[in-house]
Amino acid sequence: MSGLFQVPWSDYRPDLVDALWRTVSYTVVSFVGAVLLGLAVALLRLSRAWPARAVAAVYTEVFKNVPLLAIIFLTYFGLASVGIRLDVFTAGCLSLVVFYAAYLSEIFRSAISGVHAGQTEAGEALGLGRAGIFGHIVLPQAVRQALPGTNTMLVDLLKSTSLLVTVSAAELMSEGRLITSATFRALEVYLVISAIYFALCYPLSQLLLLLERKVRAGIPLSPWRRRRLKAARVLLASAVEADMKAGAV
Amino acid sequence: MTESVTTPQTTPRTPTEAVVRINGLSKSFDGRLVLDQVDLEVDRGRIVSVIGQSGGGKTTLMRCVNLLERPDRGTIEVAGEVVHSDGRTVCRDLPRLRRTVGMVFQRFNLFPHLTAVENVVLAQRKAGIPEQEALERAVTLLRRVGVAHRALGRPEQLSGGEQQRVAIARALALRPELLLFDEPTSSLDPEATREVLSVMRELAADGMTMLLVTHELPFAREVSDHVVFVDGGRIVEEGRPDDVLDNPSRARTREFLASYGTAS
Repeated sequence: MSGLFQVPWSDYRPDLVDALWRTVSYTVVSFVGAVLLGLAVALLRLSRAWPARAVAAVYTEVFKNVPLLAIIFLTYFGLASVGIRLDVFTAGCLSLVVFYAAYLSEIFRSAISGVHAGQTEAGEALGLGRAGIFGHIVLPQAVRQALPGTNTMLVDLLKSTSLLVTVSAAELMSEGRLITSATFRALEVYLVISAIYFALCYPLSQLLLLLERKVRAGIPLSPWRRRRLKAARVLLASAVEADMKAGAV
Repeated sequence: MTESVTTPQTTPRTPTEAVVRINGLSKSFDGRLVLDQVDLEVDRGRIVSVIGQSGGGKTTLMRCVNLLERPDRGTIEVAGEVVHSDGRTVCRDLPRLRRTVGMVFQRFNLFPHLTAVENVVLAQRKAGIPEQEALERAVTLLRRVGVAHRALGRPEQLSGGEQQRVAIARALALRPELLLFDEPTSSLDPEATREVLSVMRELAADGMTMLLVTHELPFAREVSDHVVFVDGGRIVEEGRPDDVLDNPSRARTREFLASYGTAS
């Protein structure tokens, strides 16, 4: 075993931290973008206007059936060849966004259409407008449904940032390749790089599972809801107290 | 509890004033006529029960009142204002109309991601009622329908009867001038049915105006001022509960009541 670890890792630490930071940046920016685009595509897909539905369906099918690597090459090399030069971070994020938005849109669509029609009706009967019904009734329930699939996609996206090594995106995998070419210790280097990916992905997926469980158990996560429930608890307690006093008289 | 939360905050009107006035209402689904020239009035403070077989148009008739269903012909007037006329929605402020009319559904339709108290608060906040006031009203209403001890539970943790009572509290929260009940006890066991009917009985005693679609004929007889028998999209017979339920003049009504065993 003494022969396995010979790379001067302490020399590479600043570079690795940089690369790690870049991997996290790619993940966060792309995931936020993919969620927003995915939601937009899902809403188009549920639209009453057929041209909107058609556009959304074509989008989803195209990006679900083309490899991510091809999309990365198209946005970085392909677009550059016709004069649209994107820097590597923009091209990388754009590729991940359009690819994962296709999958997320499917998850969101089935989650939204899975909310019972009676929920919308109850909202209508209470005088809520379309935005209120979507924001307060449909979306929160759809999020619950969509959470497991979305979480899987997030971890998958993080791992897929490693494909950006092909455009030298300076993230973890690219850094690994750099260190390998300097040290010729491929096994050692890629074991360490893999361990770093694992150290990122495993806690993340466990954290997301915990979140799923909390949401399913109905534990209020927003401070705004907690405040409301706390105030309700106070009111309920004082009502009980008043009853007991009235009973004692 | 002395505060009456159901009393509408409007100026007193003449007792015979109609809260709902429906004239010549017709509606088809895919070419099938489900409502055919129906006239119906619900006066303030009155309770009107609509009875009849499933698929006879009762529920559609009720859902037209708050325009969850849009009729093809006829006029609907709610609280003195024409809201729908010959296939056109005249009411420009649909949310306001719907806040005037509370509705209780057969399947409760509570919001499963929110606790009972939040279910009652949500629409109040959207109607511009301040947070604290909305919460206080919610707690008062939940106490009134006897589910305050479940206020922080989510619908799935509540029994059917508790859920339906929360739904009634939710419908009352906006102080509607009229409550619609769409077969409110049809998905409940006998015990839960008793709980819900007793809440409705109290509302009736408080003078709440109600339009009720029900299969509970004894209850309809007990609380209603007026009973309407609907069959095949038409009003076959209507009148005082005793007349319609005990002494029906139409053969079709007798047939329907006979299928219930005896009506009482």
